[in-house]
Amino acid sequence: MSVLYVLIPLGLLLLAGAVWAFFWAVGSGQFDDLDTPAVRIIMDDDTKPDDGAP
Amino acid sequence: MSTSADTCFHCALPVPTNCKITVEIEGNSQPVCCPGCKAVAELIRDSGLSGYYAMREAPAPGVGRPLDETSEWQVFDRDDMLLAFTEADAESAEATIYVGGMYCAACSWLIETTLTKSQGVEKAEVSPVTHRLRVRWRPAETRFSEILGALSSLGYQPQPLAPENTARPELLEQRTALKRLLVASLGMMQVMMFAVGLYAGDFQGIDPEMRRFLRIVSLVVTTPVVLYAARPFFAAAWRGVISKKPGMDLPVSIAVGSAYVASIYATFSNGAAVWFDSVTMFVFFLTLGRFLEMRARHRSIDRSTALSSVLPNTATRIDGDDRSVVPVSQLLPGDTVLIRAGDAIPADGVIESGETAVDEALLSGEATPRHKTVGDPVAAGSVNLDGLITMRILRTGSDTTLGTISRLSERARYTRPTFVTLADQIASYIVIALLVVAAVVAISWYLIAPERAFVITLSVLVVTCPCALALATPAAFAAAGSRLSQLRLLVTNGNAIEALSRATTVMFDKTGTLTLGQPRIASVMVFNNAMTEYDCRRIAAALETASAHPLARAFSLDAILPEVSSQAVEIGQGVSGVVDGRNWRVGSAAFVGGGAADVSTQGDATATNVFLGVDGEAVAWFALEDELRPDVDRTLQELSRLGLRIALVSGDNHDAVRELAARLGIAEFHSNCTPQQKLSIIEAAQRNNERVVMVGDGINDAPVLSGADTSVATAEGALLAQTSADVIMLGESLSPLTTLFRMSTRTMRIVRQNLTWAIVYNALALPLAAAGLVPPWLAAIGMSASSLIVVLNALRLSRFRVPE
Repeated sequence: MSVLYVLIPLGLLLLAGAVWAFFWAVGSGQFDDLDTPAVRIIMDDDTKPDDGAP
Repeated sequence: MSTSADTCFHCALPVPTNCKITVEIEGNSQPVCCPGCKAVAELIRDSGLSGYYAMREAPAPGVGRPLDETSEWQVFDRDDMLLAFTEADAESAEATIYVGGMYCAACSWLIETTLTKSQGVEKAEVSPVTHRLRVRWRPAETRFSEILGALSSLGYQPQPLAPENTARPELLEQRTALKRLLVASLGMMQVMMFAVGLYAGDFQGIDPEMRRFLRIVSLVVTTPVVLYAARPFFAAAWRGVISKKPGMDLPVSIAVGSAYVASIYATFSNGAAVWFDSVTMFVFFLTLGRFLEMRARHRSIDRSTALSSVLPNTATRIDGDDRSVVPVSQLLPGDTVLIRAGDAIPADGVIESGETAVDEALLSGEATPRHKTVGDPVAAGSVNLDGLITMRILRTGSDTTLGTISRLSERARYTRPTFVTLADQIASYIVIALLVVAAVVAISWYLIAPERAFVITLSVLVVTCPCALALATPAAFAAAGSRLSQLRLLVTNGNAIEALSRATTVMFDKTGTLTLGQPRIASVMVFNNAMTEYDCRRIAAALETASAHPLARAFSLDAILPEVSSQAVEIGQGVSGVVDGRNWRVGSAAFVGGGAADVSTQGDATATNVFLGVDGEAVAWFALEDELRPDVDRTLQELSRLGLRIALVSGDNHDAVRELAARLGIAEFHSNCTPQQKLSIIEAAQRNNERVVMVGDGINDAPVLSGADTSVATAEGALLAQTSADVIMLGESLSPLTTLFRMSTRTMRIVRQNLTWAIVYNALALPLAAAGLVPPWLAAIGMSASSLIVVLNALRLSRFRVPE
């Protein structure tokens, strides 16, 4: 069981990494809009606009 | 793939005859219409993406823009503009630009590549989700206008955003809340894992060394949860203690703080138990509840900021022959501006030349574009869809309809409903009572079984936290308010929802409320042979300029009007004034006098009658007709199905009101009412223990509205600013009214459910915990589940659908 003395601190390091990554993602604005991504999939915004055509 | 010789290879617009620009694509020389298209085409080719031209389904959105617009951006190099839109330090400047016309991630790649390659740009980052470009450049090497010009020549519509638009306070609040939530949730998961080990160890036996290790590790993980994620609770508790109004955060903080400290002590003194798992779970669920409540609150803010972000930043002002691009903040009433197709209208005003279709969806929810021509009003924030127009500005900034709507929604946010304030006060007493109970429990158990006293007191503190009680009402009101604003109902008074849910009677005004308030003159009869119909209309039009009454609009005339002096408006009656030395009056038969009442029986008696009189003698009679609002019939039917008594109170003549009441099936109607009479009708109903909702246009019946228990206004445009109604309906249809009543009933039902749940839960949990039957971790789950249920129950309101 003594391997836990190594694995748990390693897990904690991983945890710290995950927290850091998430803080960075929040800070860079990736979570600012929590509503539209959910509905984005049903919006037809991948069709090209017709007003560009003459 | 191949395009004919005279259209642009990239955007398929016609190539100007004097333009000889070509681009080499896959060995062929292709014509393009402007350097912009050439640059884009070359960029695409050089990136090895020529296949785009083979695969695309439509030409690229028009890159070639009229040449005079490339100089448009130079205005952004002025010092005041740089100050407004960029943040600069010694060497570099930074700005956020909204990029219009972005459709996909390829666009953001194109923009980033183009900008970072150009001279002087240090960094360019585009978020394809928010369409925002964050760009950093060295002002010594390039100018802001060149960056904007580059975007523009790529075919996008850049719109610099002022820094305050980008860093909104609620955005920062949400970011911090997310971080705290994450720390709490990850911390909880980890500590739970260690706790499983520790609990298993309790049953199967565990190496004391390993137990100590797991406890220390739990402590390490719990520390940021307590010190970072739970910090708002400690701060709020401390504020409550200082202001002598302890809130629910106080028992929370005592529980979290004491369990944490006691666990640390147990860890290092090899005590019997640690409570790190309970602490992290408690903090996580509390943070989650707060987060959901915050989101409900923010949704209502989103709408008002969405409103103010639709205005353009610049406008093209016309001074004689001069055209200059100025920031919208510098526009003044009286300025004339040019608005191109596709542009948003920067201020309220009237069209001076040109005609177009205008999309006003944002202001009225009306999806169909409205056709507007010379003399028609246009509102800031609406979009000019297809024509080139010039407009004269009447109101700017916060005076516009848009500004007013934002301000009104703000007002609702800042008025705390008395209901909520009451709940807060009660919560404060409950907290004190709970602390006393906890102290009694602690002392009792200390006398009975001292070793269990701490655990049991901890459970009592946690399990009885009145979080659910404190969240029950505000969460429901916040959710209801944001849903209502999506349904085109602006609640400007926090107490309105509760009052509406108890309403028994709805009284309607007629003109501008049941009808559209856009009357037109159906027929004119002149009694005085010395005057023509046109003369009468001119004088009436001149007099009516003073009145804001919806009927007055019918008289507006595109002609030179005679001068009027000493104009006076008698609310609900008419307007008087002096023209050419004679005393003219226009208004109701009683107001004009002089035999007007006798002739009002002639002709079309069901129309609204307006008379013109001079020196006490009636000279002309106007019959006005007004169209009903859409959905009036259905709305009234549904309201009476909801059990509401419906009455019509109008200042209009008896026959017109009776006919309308009969058509709509309204049993009770009052006609020829002055505002005072309307008010006394309402008061009589109130003495009868009825709770009256008055629906009016919000301007001419302001005193009547204020007399009712709740007032609903149908005001629009400039008139919005003057209304003090509790609820404002946007758009033409009357049907949001039904929604309003259903929603308020449902909101109060949810509030009652929440309060009942919170009280029943506390009443059951407290004795169990005090009897020592609830371990701390179960207490944390119980308390959290009860608050989550309350918040989730409230959030059901934001999914409220109008039953078809």
